[in-house]
Amino acid sequence: MTSSKPKIAISAIAPIVLLAILIVFLLGPASTFLQFGIILPEISIEKIQFLEDEIHATVRNTGPVDVNVVVADVNDRIQPAAIEPDSHLERFETGLVRIPFDWNEGQPYAVGLTIDDGTRFEKRVDAASASLEPNSELFAFLGVIGLLIGVVPIMIGLLWYPFINKLGKNSFNFFLAFTIGLLLFLALDAIEEAFEISNMHLASVFNGELLIATVIILSFLALFGIGNFLIKRSEFSKLSKGLAISLMVAIGIGLHNLGEGLAVGAAIALGEVALSTFLIIGFATHNTTEGLAIAAPFARTKSAIGKMICFGMIAGIPAIFGTWIGGFSFSPFLTVIFLSIGAGAIFQVVWSIFKFIKEDSDSFSNISVICGIGVGLVVMYLTSIFI
Amino acid sequence: MKILENMEKSIQSSKMLYILILIVGVSTLYFVIPSVTVAEETPQTFLTHTGLVISTTGDVIDPIGYDGEALDFDPAKFMKNFDYGDVSVLEDGTTLREFYITARNDRVMEVSPGVFYNVWTFNDSVPGPTIRATEGDLIRIHFTNEGSKSHSLHFHGIHKAEMDGVFENIGPGGKFTYEFYAEPVGLHLYHCHVHPVEEHIAHGMYGAYIVDPKEGRDSAEEFIFVLNGLDTDFDGENNFYAANTIPFYYQHHPIEIPVNQKIRAYVVNVLEFDAVNNFHLHGTLFHHYPAGTNSVPSGYNDMLTMSQGDRQILEFSYKYPGLYMFHAHNTEFSEKGWVSTFLAKETTDDFDNKVEYDDII
Repeated sequence: MTSSKPKIAISAIAPIVLLAILIVFLLGPASTFLQFGIILPEISIEKIQFLEDEIHATVRNTGPVDVNVVVADVNDRIQPAAIEPDSHLERFETGLVRIPFDWNEGQPYAVGLTIDDGTRFEKRVDAASASLEPNSELFAFLGVIGLLIGVVPIMIGLLWYPFINKLGKNSFNFFLAFTIGLLLFLALDAIEEAFEISNMHLASVFNGELLIATVIILSFLALFGIGNFLIKRSEFSKLSKGLAISLMVAIGIGLHNLGEGLAVGAAIALGEVALSTFLIIGFATHNTTEGLAIAAPFARTKSAIGKMICFGMIAGIPAIFGTWIGGFSFSPFLTVIFLSIGAGAIFQVVWSIFKFIKEDSDSFSNISVICGIGVGLVVMYLTSIFI
Repeated sequence: MKILENMEKSIQSSKMLYILILIVGVSTLYFVIPSVTVAEETPQTFLTHTGLVISTTGDVIDPIGYDGEALDFDPAKFMKNFDYGDVSVLEDGTTLREFYITARNDRVMEVSPGVFYNVWTFNDSVPGPTIRATEGDLIRIHFTNEGSKSHSLHFHGIHKAEMDGVFENIGPGGKFTYEFYAEPVGLHLYHCHVHPVEEHIAHGMYGAYIVDPKEGRDSAEEFIFVLNGLDTDFDGENNFYAANTIPFYYQHHPIEIPVNQKIRAYVVNVLEFDAVNNFHLHGTLFHHYPAGTNSVPSGYNDMLTMSQGDRQILEFSYKYPGLYMFHAHNTEFSEKGWVSTFLAKETTDDFDNKVEYDDII
């Protein structure tokens, strides 16, 4: 066994070495032979911010070759500007373009950047609004938003616990199935939002669609591992299975709320939404159902209220961190990733609840289960209309 | 025992997990954290159009820095450069003016600081040389096409059909001799007329052609302004506009003229893609002569509207010293480069209200 170890190592490394030699050959001696097609440089304006007398555009080189950013314009009118740290952008490097401009609140603007070959790239903003200054006031504001859309509604939703606890078997299954419906909708919602952000802000070089799919599957697998571990432990310890599922739901929803918080925080920071009371009400209503999803598997376990509140926190608090991260440093890449993680996590939770119902009741195809899923989806759709 | 085995297994698998987390984590950070090259420590400042002073540790991107050194084209020289050709006199007393024009389409020119654009040129210049002759002279142009595409020379004016440069394309490596008498008196133009003409003109194959009257013109400070544009990303819209190719050039390099001196500007509009171009002069009005064919001005104005191929001779002078703008009053064009300045100066330095222009520019 030990004597063959070097052989194994060689057989593992040999293909990598050969591949490296091939790449060196292709980049070196064969590079002129293999040159065909036209290389098109590309830059992407990832973020536009409106400061006092200045417009800031964050630009990334998303093409295959280095570029220089040489001209800036606002609404297709050339403006003297500065680019930091310098006008040369290597692949994937970002720069900050500062355009002195006396912009008007609420007016649409297009910021254009021209690179050395004369190609102009543009990004539009529907309505200019002052970028938020990172200070304690904003910190508190975003925290409150996160609290209102994450923690508070989930806690309210948990209040359904005594009601669910007293239900008969069929009704209980109905509510478990109902949470499946809710969660499926949440996952689809997150995927849709991830695609939207990917299309709006993420350069095509990042392969947004594949990134989302990859992260969803990775996240599902990760949660699958954690879930199995928790359920196995519940077999040995006093942790009941229902409690384990509940914890899984809380973690899944927590990851989802982190992504959601990021998206909301970013939208506030970028001035893309008029954050009305109505929108907060919509989010709150929507997320109250998340509390129900945690409470349902929790029912029939003889656990303390403290644990349930703890689970609610696990599910809700990430929304606050999300709004902070999204509000202070928006990164489309990070937001897409977290939305996808949330979606993957929720798919895993759905899977766990499925198994829970199946093992717990002999009649999975019970009409109450089917109705539960259906009603869950519809309720979520209706509450989503308000957002 | 079983637990121990499980432990071992889980340790094995956790190694794999660490590798996975490492790969995912590193690749995420790579894209999220912007890579930053070492920035210059000393901040530099620049002045905006509205007078704001901006300080930056990065690079200033502004057409102000253009100095014309990166290409063989200097708008300051071009505007005063009239090509009279190689002059000889024929047996019948006619003046013969011979010009040598070479067409190319492989040059890349820095048209604005940092912007590199493939220009198609006559004598390595956009616009091509300003051809100037006196009415009745015989003009002979030895045309050589050193480009990889067909080109031609089409002159406006009176000449034989076979000298019109429209139906006889000169292929790569080809030569052709255009010969015609300079008529009528006026300001005309020439350009490549190979299909698609729009493409050949948009890339820079044009120039001005002046025919002076036999009796000559009044003495004046003379300038040539060819109004053009550059569609550097080929979307059928100009990215830059200019008088004499380089956007914002004369805004940052004012054209110095004496006050009370007669100025004569030859203005030719060759702008592609936009239906009209115009010319607006500040601080004074001009007499203008459409196509320069009439000795009586057709108007006294500070605005000229011209479609493609239109040209006008302008005559004016400045009463007061100072910095005066002239630009397209279609302000989109002026804010994309077609904005210029005259700096009218007293001939002696000891005049009242002397302004330090260096502070303004």
